[in-house]
Amino acid sequence: MQKVTILLIEDEKSISDFIVRTLELNGYSVTAERTGRDGLARITSALPDLVLLDLGLPDMDGNDVIRETRKWSAMPIIVISARTLEKEKVEALDAGADDYVTKPFGTSELLARIRTSLRHVNSVTSEGGDIHKTYSSRGLLIDFEKRLVTLDGQPIHLTRMEYNIVSILAKNSGKVITYDSLINALWGPYAGDNNRILRVNMANIRRKIEKNPGEPEYIFTELGVGYRMREDEGDR
Amino acid sequence: MGNNDPRRRRSEISAAVKAKLRSFSHKDFLITLGVYAAATLIAFFFNRTASDPTLNIAMLYTIGAFVAARYTDGYFYGILYAIVAVLSVNYFFTYPYGNLDFSLQGYQVTFLGMLIISIITSISSTVLKAQQDLLARQDKELLEAEKEKTRANLLRAVSHDIRTPLTGIIGNSESIIENTSAMDEEEKLRLVTNINRDARWLLSMVENLLSVTRIDEKSSKVDKTPEIVDEVVSAAVSHFRKNFPENGITVKVPEEPVMAEMDPLLIQQVLINILNNAAAHSGTRDPIELQVRVEDGNVLFSVRDRGKRIPPDRLEHIFDGGSFATEDESPDSKRGMGIGLSICKTIIDAHDGGIKAVDHEDGMEFVFTLPEYMEEIDDAEGDDSFDRG
Repeated sequence: MQKVTILLIEDEKSISDFIVRTLELNGYSVTAERTGRDGLARITSALPDLVLLDLGLPDMDGNDVIRETRKWSAMPIIVISARTLEKEKVEALDAGADDYVTKPFGTSELLARIRTSLRHVNSVTSEGGDIHKTYSSRGLLIDFEKRLVTLDGQPIHLTRMEYNIVSILAKNSGKVITYDSLINALWGPYAGDNNRILRVNMANIRRKIEKNPGEPEYIFTELGVGYRMREDEGDR
Repeated sequence: MGNNDPRRRRSEISAAVKAKLRSFSHKDFLITLGVYAAATLIAFFFNRTASDPTLNIAMLYTIGAFVAARYTDGYFYGILYAIVAVLSVNYFFTYPYGNLDFSLQGYQVTFLGMLIISIITSISSTVLKAQQDLLARQDKELLEAEKEKTRANLLRAVSHDIRTPLTGIIGNSESIIENTSAMDEEEKLRLVTNINRDARWLLSMVENLLSVTRIDEKSSKVDKTPEIVDEVVSAAVSHFRKNFPENGITVKVPEEPVMAEMDPLLIQQVLINILNNAAAHSGTRDPIELQVRVEDGNVLFSVRDRGKRIPPDRLEHIFDGGSFATEDESPDSKRGMGIGLSICKTIIDAHDGGIKAVDHEDGMEFVFTLPEYMEEIDDAEGDDSFDRG
């Protein structure tokens, strides 16, 4: 089987070194670039399976690399950045990044994120179109065609709004969905500030599907950014 | 910096008064003119209607003098008003009308009295104002000094807390670099693990410092939004589980969703600090109990451990930040509570909440409260007509 190719765009040598080394040890084929311009050129010429991108590049803003790439490609892009403000994460995600890892990060965390992102691409390319018929994880089952949610075989009664929220998150499981893109999908682009309604709905959803809303198993909160649903196990 | 030496105070006041005397201001001139015009108008009205108006008119002008002196800077306008007023009474309202004549018996006393009252009012209100300004400035200076002290304490705590893990990192890594061939794998692994642990400690420190920058420096306030309490709690707990995988924790949030206004990342930081502190200092791996409940309109967060208690003398200063650096304790002792708890206090204060440490028979409890956010939560059920069954 051919190796998965990863392009790393990172200007800091010590960080670049350890990431390349870790990825190679885990069976990936890695190329590294130091600037945004070289990175973009490599993206076009080499068509990597996944891009790891630092936002603070010497020649351009990493977010522009994302936007430039998104004009023609849906390849997974994971941002690795020392920027910690929520709005900076939101900006990168809204620009089209698939995921966001904050520096410093552990290697296991990085590898897990890479696997998640690659799995999403595979599921899209292997069957094409909307492959999501069901979601299942740890006893939680969602049947998107019947609009049915069960937990350990027991039906869960969700309101229409609650079901819509859960289904959007489940169809994008493993990915962080920002509050704004969720609100957009639920109410349309001119809905205004429905953040609080979304949050209260989420609190109610958690009380229906989580054993302990204080320690959720299925839907996680990225504070100030959005929600992420546990990876669909049915995809594997 | 301000002090309370009376002599110095007096000289500062007189300097302020002199400065005011010298200044000419259009605003003050207009105020004076306005008061004079108003007094004169009313005086003419009196003059028409009252049978013996002179005394009333003198009284009226005296009130004017008081007003003019009170609302202008310095003596000048008050005195100017007084003189003009005295002349006006004489000119307009005493016989012979339309002339200045000071010969009338008894009137000299009235005029003189009016002049003196006006002047004294001017002087006293000017001095009063100067004193008020001075007091306000001294308060501000005191506040600044307090802030300066806090900042210095924080910096001292920070550099101590940074230096300790850095020493570990530099020492461990150098010993690997210098003895790399003489060391076996196991030993290297041990040293690298030390480096890793110290670096993580540094990271938590940096996150704490970063969180302080989210507090507005001038007002000591934060950017608050209504947040569901569960989300902050679960974020902090998952962070804690990552850092202390071998420690147990139980979490309990209210049955009904509860909201509080907060900066969620800061409150997460508070919870992380308190949890880390409990894990690091309780000396036990018995599960930490994190509980959120509502009490008297406040959301109450409680972190309870079943470990070592904190001695009372230390408990008193536990949120001060400087607590670990007391003279009697070696600054090289085990990494203190560090700045974590003092940052908790700073954050909770900025949220208008309360934080305290409670000593129990069998362990410690840290409690903090935030005002509960109330609104018609029913909103969320807006389109509830449809319920899947």
